[in-house]
Amino acid sequence: METENKRNFSIIAHVDHGKTTLSDRLLEHTQTVDTRVLTSQHLDSMDLERERGITIKSHPVTMNYKCKSGTVVQLNLMDTPGHVDFSYEVSRSLAACEGAVLLIDAAQGVEAQTVANAALAVSQDLDIIPVINKIDLPSANLELCLKQLEDILAIPAEDAILASGKSGIGIEDILEAVVSRVSKPRWNDCEQTRVLIFDSVYDAYRGAIIYIRCFSGEIKPGDGILMMSDHTRAEVKEVGVFSPHMVKTKSLRAGDVGYLVCNIKNVSEIKIGDTITNAMKPATEMLPGYQEVRPMVFSGIYPVESSDYEKLKAGLGKLQLNDAAFSYQSESSIALGFGFRCGFLGLLHMEIIQERIRREYDVEIISTYPSVVYRVEKADRETIEVDNPINLPDPSHIERILEPTIRATIHIPNEYVGDILNLIMDKRGVCHNTETLDGSRLMLECVVPLNEILIDFNDRLKSITRGYGSMDYELGDYVEAKLVRMDIMVNGDSVDAFSCIVHTDKARARGKELCERLAEIIPSHLFKIAVQAAIGGNIIARANVSAMRKDVTAKCYGGDISRKRKLLEKQKEGKRKMKNIGNVSIPPDAFIKVLKSD
Amino acid sequence: MEKFDKMAKLRGDSLGIYLHVPFCSTTCDFCAFYQEAPRRQGIVEYLDGIDRELSLIEAPEKKVDTCFWGGGTPGLLPAGDLDRLCKAVVSKFGQPQHEWTVEMAPSSVRKDKLQALKDNGVTRISMGVQSWDDGLLESLGRLHTSKLARKALDLVQEVGFESINLDLIFAIPGQTAEQWRSDLSKTLSLGIDHISTYCLTFEEDTALYVKLSEGKVSIDTEKETAFYRVSWEETERAGFEQYEISNYAKKGHECLHNLNTWRMDEWIGVGPSAASQSELKRYSNPADLKNWLGDLKEGRRGLASEPEVLDAGILFEDCLIFGLRMNEGVNLDTLKNRFGRDLPESVKDSMEQLEGEGKLVKEGGKLRLTGEGRLVADAIGTELLGRFSD
Ligand SMILES: Nc1nc2c(ncn2[C@@H]2O[C@H](COP(=O)(O)OP(=O)(O)OP(=O)(O)O)[C@@H](O)[C@H]2O)c(=O)[nH]1
Ligand code: SF4
Ligand SMILES: [Mg+2]
Repeated sequence: METENKRNFSIIAHVDHGKTTLSDRLLEHTQTVDTRVLTSQHLDSMDLERERGITIKSHPVTMNYKCKSGTVVQLNLMDTPGHVDFSYEVSRSLAACEGAVLLIDAAQGVEAQTVANAALAVSQDLDIIPVINKIDLPSANLELCLKQLEDILAIPAEDAILASGKSGIGIEDILEAVVSRVSKPRWNDCEQTRVLIFDSVYDAYRGAIIYIRCFSGEIKPGDGILMMSDHTRAEVKEVGVFSPHMVKTKSLRAGDVGYLVCNIKNVSEIKIGDTITNAMKPATEMLPGYQEVRPMVFSGIYPVESSDYEKLKAGLGKLQLNDAAFSYQSESSIALGFGFRCGFLGLLHMEIIQERIRREYDVEIISTYPSVVYRVEKADRETIEVDNPINLPDPSHIERILEPTIRATIHIPNEYVGDILNLIMDKRGVCHNTETLDGSRLMLECVVPLNEILIDFNDRLKSITRGYGSMDYELGDYVEAKLVRMDIMVNGDSVDAFSCIVHTDKARARGKELCERLAEIIPSHLFKIAVQAAIGGNIIARANVSAMRKDVTAKCYGGDISRKRKLLEKQKEGKRKMKNIGNVSIPPDAFIKVLKSD
Repeated sequence: MEKFDKMAKLRGDSLGIYLHVPFCSTTCDFCAFYQEAPRRQGIVEYLDGIDRELSLIEAPEKKVDTCFWGGGTPGLLPAGDLDRLCKAVVSKFGQPQHEWTVEMAPSSVRKDKLQALKDNGVTRISMGVQSWDDGLLESLGRLHTSKLARKALDLVQEVGFESINLDLIFAIPGQTAEQWRSDLSKTLSLGIDHISTYCLTFEEDTALYVKLSEGKVSIDTEKETAFYRVSWEETERAGFEQYEISNYAKKGHECLHNLNTWRMDEWIGVGPSAASQSELKRYSNPADLKNWLGDLKEGRRGLASEPEVLDAGILFEDCLIFGLRMNEGVNLDTLKNRFGRDLPESVKDSMEQLEGEGKLVKEGGKLRLTGEGRLVADAIGTELLGRFSD
């Protein structure tokens, strides 16, 4: 197909504004997926995505659309995630596109990630097609949405298309707009082949599968290729497109999106954002890549059964191939043995990775209390980075501790401003700027310690604003804070995996909360268990796990001792799935559950 | 010779015979036992099978102390069949020296059956009354009514046995504390000498378990605990003594057969699904009439699975797990002597901890659970499991 008859675009929006549902309609209208096999939220193909109803990874798909003028156009669509933890997925998808369909939920209006994702698209010089989606909803407020479009995003209201992914309204308008408003594939005039790597997944049979966008030239099986960042050479084995499952093709050319399998053994050598060129006729300049993402939240992951260590290690290795934003490194804990310190983009990302380890690699794991990366200036002037509370030096050796902050943008309806300002203050944050978005909404710009928003900031924001508040953030500066390590003791034994770094002003409250929560999570044992929080040896909070009240069933006659023993074995089996620290069995998910305040 | 002595010591003193009669007229909602519908053809085959099985069992060198017929519903068999079964057992093992129990269901008690049993030397009748409340009986899927149960008991008492046990079930969904108290006091006032109270359990493969997983009923531990305590109060008031988690008796009327199994002595099980512990092996017969018969017809006693070989470790462990369920507890000196070893250190630590928490008392060489301890006897058992293996 002629390059000029190809269009590449992403669908971007705030979380839940209907990107994946709208994609269903596009797949249907272009007959890319047969209606008989089209499931709802079809592109959310991972089990986890389907269960949680959220998109975690960007999904590319190639469609052929016969437009009103009669020409058949190849449309390469990328459905992107909306959750803030995965915004790097959005920026990677956008780098492979010339245009973006920006959805706005007609009932919710413009929210924080709408603004953030629109800004990403603008910064990459993309053509934006605004779509007011879900107009079938009775609570849709078109007028407000159009006004917000102009006032907040500076996009002319007349550009907007009205649509509903659910009822199938406006689908053709969107497709026509993509053809007429999105620019033709750019940078195709370069004489050499240039191909952008925007993702990779690991396949047990074929090894690394590299997701690519071809900007110029051609790439086909048998080609000798060169990775431009480090001059790794390889030979192409297979190329193909997503339809949305992988379909082999003869070659990929300028304007195409698809996948590539080559003979690179060590898959970690593939860098997302790298440019591939032809080794015989190499390009001289790389395509603009993107900033490497750096994990912001760290936690330890340990196998419940120490014999699963190798299995866990292998699993983490494979997950990292699918997810460049995730990092890991071996570490050990007194309570939990040998495991790994893992880095994540946020709590949701952390939860997802942990869930995938459990499911896809069948390893029962424990994860420790998450931590951010602190900078500790020691008395001897050395500065170290601490991502595990256990490594915090003795207070006498510390000159000062700096913690990471975030710059947050919060959108809320006017009436909640008081409560939200209190919430920000409660989280040790400072609000720098308040702006009116339209008559009814405000935008707050504030700086909050990252550590504080980890726990329940977003949940509280949502509950205070009845779901109408939203937040976007980016990493800010490191600032000095009065921080100490708080240890948690279970039955007198300090469990290093529960240690955390807290602000001195909040230590007591946090300690109390943690102890009480933990006391609820640890199942009752034969004996009473004390859970205590301590700072430097001083107990600051305590709670008890009450002893088991009754656990006896009768029915033991007829001499069937084996049967009774089996029943007891079963009970014991339940305990074995837990982590036993001293004589206390702690459920593997305790370390995560303590974070949730429900 | 020395080795032989040691083995004999491990095996314990007494010998019991357990006979399983697998027939029930319907399946109760809470029952996970193996049972069969009582068709004549099946019963005849069963009786023949028992004869065959008995002929295949090597005559034990010890005298038989106790005999226990459980089910199913042994009392469902007609008088003639009962008589035949009794004679078969006695001619094989001789007359049980101390006790012979037969379980009966109120709905199938008849005078001729009772007489046949008595004439053959049965000393003890155990009857599953479960409740005196007709509404609760129905919710359990039982066939009888309280009136029928009362009539059955009258007959048993008229024929006259040395001991009579009634089974009751508590913590039935919908049951109130008052209902439970009145079930108990009524039972205790009927001139019997033994009662067994079972907390309703939800075992897999039962109709009740299905209701539980469908959320139609729920388990209420607080209620179970409270009802359990009510049993303690009421039985004590009536002059009964608790001697095991779920058993209460007037002095001298404890069920010896069960006591001997909890003390890890020996018993031989006859009939489909019957469990044996004999000559340091533990095994069960096939839990299916057809399979059980099939093997017997080929001239061997089939087994449900490989027999478990018992050693001092396992037996010691079980003596503790099951011994602590009895109010008398265990005598450590006796056990040390029997098994030639002491408690493992880790078990001693656990015992000390339990003692510290008032769940266990240690007096002289004896360990026994307190009331609080009995409430968590399963958890304690779980704790001990596998701790003795070397
Ligand atoms: N009424 C109505 N509901 C819709 C429409 N489109 C999507 N929804 C609903 O909105 C919810 C979110 O839809 P998704 O398509 O998963 O949204 P998304 O933007 O892909 O979500 P993330 O990928 O998690 O950011 C689902 O419950 C959909 O059923 C629409 O046009 N009308
Ligand atoms: S409880 Fe007894 S009578 Fe009822 S089904 Fe089970 S074995 Fe038969
Ligand atoms: Mg989605």
